[in-house]
Amino acid sequence: MTCDEVFRRVDAFIDDELDADLARAIRDHVSVCRVCRRRVEEREALSRLLRSAPYYPAPSGLHARVSARAARAASMHRMLTWAAAAVLVLSLGGGVVFVRSGATRQDTIVANLVDSHVRSLMADHVFDVQSTDQHTVKPWFLGKLDFAPPVVDPAAAGFPLVGGRLDYVGGRPAAALVYERRKHIINVFVTPAETKTDASPAVESLRGFHVHHWIRNGMSFWAVSDLNDAELTEFVGLVQAAP
Amino acid sequence: MALRAFEETVLPHLDAAFNYARWLTRSDAEAEDVVQDACVRAMRFISSFRDGDARAWFFTIVRNTWYTRAARRAGTAEAGVMDRARMDPPDEGPDPEAQLLQQHTVARVRSAIDELPPDFREVLVLREIEGMSYKEIAAVLRVPIGTVMSRLARARERLLIALKPAPMELLR
Repeated sequence: MTCDEVFRRVDAFIDDELDADLARAIRDHVSVCRVCRRRVEEREALSRLLRSAPYYPAPSGLHARVSARAARAASMHRMLTWAAAAVLVLSLGGGVVFVRSGATRQDTIVANLVDSHVRSLMADHVFDVQSTDQHTVKPWFLGKLDFAPPVVDPAAAGFPLVGGRLDYVGGRPAAALVYERRKHIINVFVTPAETKTDASPAVESLRGFHVHHWIRNGMSFWAVSDLNDAELTEFVGLVQAAP
Repeated sequence: MALRAFEETVLPHLDAAFNYARWLTRSDAEAEDVVQDACVRAMRFISSFRDGDARAWFFTIVRNTWYTRAARRAGTAEAGVMDRARMDPPDEGPDPEAQLLQQHTVARVRSAIDELPPDFREVLVLREIEGMSYKEIAAVLRVPIGTVMSRLARARERLLIALKPAPMELLR
């Protein structure tokens, strides 16, 4: 191994992030090369120095303050849940028991997504952030969501990104990315997936809308549009293939 | 239920989260605000946390909270460029002379890290102080592992230059 190759891996080496073969090659090189040994030692010393710095101590009472706020938030949440349940029971006249299977939950999500899609068009609330620039749309979601939705812009293929907004999928906050194809709006809803396993697109249709659902890199995607299925499939392929 | 899940998932990492926020914000008061806001959010999203690395999950929320607050102020200052009072040296250790040296060294290292851009600061804190693996850091920062590696390499390079004489001498 050359000095250059060692230099490129020296951080991964001291952090124990190299596989055994590479680590051995570096150890061999370092045992005969003074310059590289110095590099390794310097970084190891830096690490020790940084580790010797104690934690900034949390202010006294932080634990108590946080616990108290969490308890307040929990009781508020419970109250709202009970209130919602009470309204539901009243409106059903009582006595009806709701049992949801996994399959109907999926159906409910699809129906809700189509509703969200239609509402976004009707209420003229397609965007919270209107921009054709993915570098504007992506940071806009920072802090509004506890995940970073991947934002791609297949404008070159005729599906320009036109904006984004906050929405909900299955009761959880979601990023809605808005694309356009000849005046047809495509909403792509993104939430963290419940499973780590990728899933290829599955298509459902409801009231004239197509809904494509797929999972990639821990994110769950739903593309909803009234666009014809061939073009929507092409769009989904482009979004899905993006790095 | 949510409160119990919150207490089991988030509270054990509160001190670490404060330390991380303190490094990001460079201010005690600001760090506490960030941690408190992050806790409120964590509470709200606790049902979306699946089994996994609770610390990385909570750190991501702390980080997003800080970015939101910094962005809100972006009219006046860039994220992380807000200058704050420097941290007082810690007050522990038995031998007064060794203690003084220790304080001097720690203060010097801290101020050198504080001078780095936030991207570099946090990767150093997550790696060296939290002892996270590249994979865990990548999960917190939501960047590829390769980015973690190159950012860490550049951060160390910058810090080594800032800390002249070399850290080996400082350690002695």
